[in-house]
Amino acid sequence: MMLRINLFSKILFLILLSLYFVVVATPFLLMFFNGFKTTRELFLKPFEMPDSFAPENHIRAWERAGLGTAFLNSIVVSGAGIFGVLFTSSMLAYVLSRYRFRFRRFIYVYIILGLALPARLAIIPIFLLLNSLKLTDTRLGLVLVYIATGASFATFLLKNFMDGIPLEIEESARMDGASPWTVYRRIALPLIKPALVVVGLVNFVNIWNDFFFPFIIITSKAKETVPLAVSLFYGEYSNQWPMIAAALTISVVPIMVVFFLFSKQFISGITQGAIK
Amino acid sequence: MSCKIRYILLFTIPALSLYTLFVIYPFGYSLFLSFFKWSGAGPKLFVGLDNFKSILFGRMSQEFINALLHNFYFFARNALCELGVAFLIAIVLASRIWGQRFFRTIVYLPNVISMVLVGFIWVMMLNPQWGLINQVLKAVGLKHLAQPWLGQPKTALTTVILVNVWRNIGFYILVFLAAIIGIPNDIFDAAYIDGAKNWRVIWKIIFPMTFSTFQTLLILIFIWSFNIFDVVYSLAGVQAGPVRSTDVLGTVFYRTAFGGLGSSGQDYGLGAAIVVLIFLMVIPLSMIYALMMDRRKRVE
Repeated sequence: MMLRINLFSKILFLILLSLYFVVVATPFLLMFFNGFKTTRELFLKPFEMPDSFAPENHIRAWERAGLGTAFLNSIVVSGAGIFGVLFTSSMLAYVLSRYRFRFRRFIYVYIILGLALPARLAIIPIFLLLNSLKLTDTRLGLVLVYIATGASFATFLLKNFMDGIPLEIEESARMDGASPWTVYRRIALPLIKPALVVVGLVNFVNIWNDFFFPFIIITSKAKETVPLAVSLFYGEYSNQWPMIAAALTISVVPIMVVFFLFSKQFISGITQGAIK
Repeated sequence: MSCKIRYILLFTIPALSLYTLFVIYPFGYSLFLSFFKWSGAGPKLFVGLDNFKSILFGRMSQEFINALLHNFYFFARNALCELGVAFLIAIVLASRIWGQRFFRTIVYLPNVISMVLVGFIWVMMLNPQWGLINQVLKAVGLKHLAQPWLGQPKTALTTVILVNVWRNIGFYILVFLAAIIGIPNDIFDAAYIDGAKNWRVIWKIIFPMTFSTFQTLLILIFIWSFNIFDVVYSLAGVQAGPVRSTDVLGTVFYRTAFGGLGSSGQDYGLGAAIVVLIFLMVIPLSMIYALMMDRRKRVE
């Protein structure tokens, strides 16, 4: 439903929203421009355009922060994490939606308990557990943690989406003798594709942006993800602001692009996950 | 029948076992650890409730209570700023205006950027010498307001909170917007036919009909307020300076469990005890939230 408003309010609202836009955009623009400046320029004319747009700072930041490796790690960890979450949670959601059995309700409440559980506070046991599995300082360790912490939201959303899909197609397939696995893989999964996209995107942002788990679990340079690499770089080169701004620009732009490409799915994912 | 059970196990075990291992079990084990003194290597020494005593009444109590109060301050500020402002902006976005889709997208943009990176970007904005905030204040003749926002105890915590709000408010706006858009059309039509003014529509229809959204978001803000770490880490460091003025339980916990100069105790058991105290506040609300989400779907 849309509120009906008169022209005066329309103009007032537009001005307000434009101000909001300025508040959101300015820090990013400043970061972008600062990345092209020299330290001298930054102090003398902090808000003017840089003298040149040669990406010297960016090249140095890319090398010194190890951003190439970091991007590769972030891509691998996010990719494996998303795949793992979608695979395991969609199976669980499928059973919870389609089968009637004892403890079904219990399992569902048990899993969605994690929706609002501050999982990372339990980091000591997580760390000890990974340690005893020889998985500290490995990407696999991170991936397992992300699959587990992503399970609640994914199962919640996928199960509810599946509940809204009629059973007929699956039943006729089952009547034709298809195994539950085939029904799940060939019929259920294609039907819930829109929900899988939403869950995938939400998990992508969560995993890609996560700082805390890599901060604790990853210790070697070769396995750092982007937020960790940038924050260590930030600590190491503090006060070399143009280079820090360049590193921030490089790490922020890709996710912005993904967001603008898929903003519709993002927004539906966020609102469905939280509330009605 | 046995075939059905076999498939149920096959489909549920991967997700359930990982979830149990990495989410549920760690909570239980934290509780267990909180009764021991343990540096991470060597034998664990059972100390009963000593960890809790030193946190609540002993040598760590000052640090703990300082941080705890900051968490509550965080919660109150966040609830006020995020819910209040987000509700108003959602109403603006629910009106017929140009560029609606564009603004809806922009509103959520900061939310997709990693919190630590947002923190670093704002450290630049707030730089006392060349940062934008102070320069703007000077430019508009408010020179006396220009100050080292993150460098002095009286403004640091509020600054950290506002940066947090800047990043997260888009989420609350979109959730409110979805709730407003979900209100059935005929209710509005009837009100407009009766000649109701917009402020009345907002107060008498939109506000009551999004009240449950307020409740749910308030629960989430409470839980998330006790989960804060990244924003403090990136704006003020693990020492949560200046002089612990931005310290929260997350940073106290980090220093206690994983060290760092200036921590008043370094011990896994002590760290686990801090976590258990946070759980005691947060877990009841997590449970209420889970049950609310469960019930809501079944009512529909």
